[in-house]
Amino acid sequence: MKTVSLLMLLLGLSTLLFAQEIAPLPKDETGKYTYYEVVSTAVSQDTLKARMQNFIQKQKKELKPAVASAKELVANGKLIIRKSMAMLSHPSGEIAYRLYFEANHGKYRFWLSDFEFFPYQKDRYGNFVPSTTVGIPLETEAKKWNADQWDEYRLQTSKYATEFATRLKDYLINKAVQTPKPPEKKVISKTWD
Amino acid sequence: MKNNIAALSFLLLSTATVAVAQEKASPLEISGSVDTYYKYDFNKTGNIKTYFAGEQNSVSLGMIDLALKKTTGKASFVGELSFGPRGQYESIPDAAGGYDPTANGFNIQNLYVNYAFTDKFSMTAGYMGTFVGYEVISPAANFNYSTSYLFGSGPFQNAGIKGTYAFSDKVSLMVGLFNEWNQYRASRGVSSLGGQLMVSPVKGWTAYINGLHGLDGYGNYSTVIDLTTAYQITDKVKIGLNAADLSAGDDKFGYSGVALYPQYAFTPSVALGLRAEYFNYKGVSGGPSASVTSFTLSGNIKSGGLTFIPEVRFDNDKDFSQSFVKSDGTTLNKSAAQFSLAAVYSF
Repeated sequence: MKTVSLLMLLLGLSTLLFAQEIAPLPKDETGKYTYYEVVSTAVSQDTLKARMQNFIQKQKKELKPAVASAKELVANGKLIIRKSMAMLSHPSGEIAYRLYFEANHGKYRFWLSDFEFFPYQKDRYGNFVPSTTVGIPLETEAKKWNADQWDEYRLQTSKYATEFATRLKDYLINKAVQTPKPPEKKVISKTWD
Repeated sequence: MKNNIAALSFLLLSTATVAVAQEKASPLEISGSVDTYYKYDFNKTGNIKTYFAGEQNSVSLGMIDLALKKTTGKASFVGELSFGPRGQYESIPDAAGGYDPTANGFNIQNLYVNYAFTDKFSMTAGYMGTFVGYEVISPAANFNYSTSYLFGSGPFQNAGIKGTYAFSDKVSLMVGLFNEWNQYRASRGVSSLGGQLMVSPVKGWTAYINGLHGLDGYGNYSTVIDLTTAYQITDKVKIGLNAADLSAGDDKFGYSGVALYPQYAFTPSVALGLRAEYFNYKGVSGGPSASVTSFTLSGNIKSGGLTFIPEVRFDNDKDFSQSFVKSDGTTLNKSAAQFSLAAVYSF
């Protein structure tokens, strides 16, 4: 009985890992899916801006700077959509988006919007590449036959935006101050002490 | 029983661990396609060979294509094999390196390794789909199901080593050394020099200017110059163009041709496209040239991974170079027409 309970628990845990509760992103006043967040912090405005520029540079495979003004930083981003969450999969498309960032005294805000889906097609070398340069807005109503797939794209976008916000906060506030590494402990195996 | 449960528990734990760990790891990619088709020639004989579908009134097989790709850090590999008539008969060599349709072999489409030294510079070595031309062997990457004369005359694959440098998102240059066309190993050494300049002047427009000089698939030393370009003008309208010229031997015989590919997408799942092609065989030793014109109208109807391709094609062979015949099977004819319906599933 104990073993069966343990088995059920493990089954539940593994299912949880695959199917976390994710809700689609909310829409803004123009009807576009948007992830919007305001974060309060003690970090100064200039430092926040500098760190944000550095963050964009470091994530160069994911983000490309588009606009850098005194008021805001704008970057174009993308996330790769995989056909399944299984171990054996391949990219089926990408979702491009715009990242807007503004820093103020004692806080910063950012939002991800203008999500567009670009389906992938395999090229002559066996690599998956965008099959078109004109994306389909994520707000587009899906047809009956691909409604499930389209819902999945929206959920993956929502999950990505949440994780992106965490990463960004970690970089701008939490991990920006480097703590010195503790000295590496050495085990000397040849002595009795 | 307990052992079984313990094993199952371990498996579940491992699966859960993999689910967490895989976010950082690059998964092994598996992809491919399967295609089959029906073709009917209006002169009741297999007039237009289209390089893959020479049959008449037949439900025929294309091929199954299986590809693996893995990226680890800066290194990656692609291995892509196909099994079936589309590869075996006419386009790519079998396991023995020949084109014997009676040999039940497989065909290599891509087998190469790649290393990205920097974000801008990478090198690739192995057997790769050719960089020359608009159309490719895999039906999953073509809009029309039948293929052009330009496709059938050019290289299909090149074995060799190449380096690609991306000056920016809009300009890149590839230079490589290759064996003769379509061969897994060189018969007369690494004999060809090839290059590709990619430019993307505006969003949606990409052009590839290709050159390849060396031993070709016909045993001659030749030079092929090729322009392949596509412009996605709006979300509904796309235009492609392929123009090529091959000069071989001292006589400069070979071919030249141009194909235009206008396409219109009614919805993301339904599109219509035309291929209009002019192709000219250059005369050998000052002999007469022979030209062919071809018009192919294809639909693409997509549902999930499946694409239906209904297609009609009209070819005009004014110089009788293609040996089209009338329905009696013997009298030569200047024109040929066919209908085909293909189903291509990509995964």
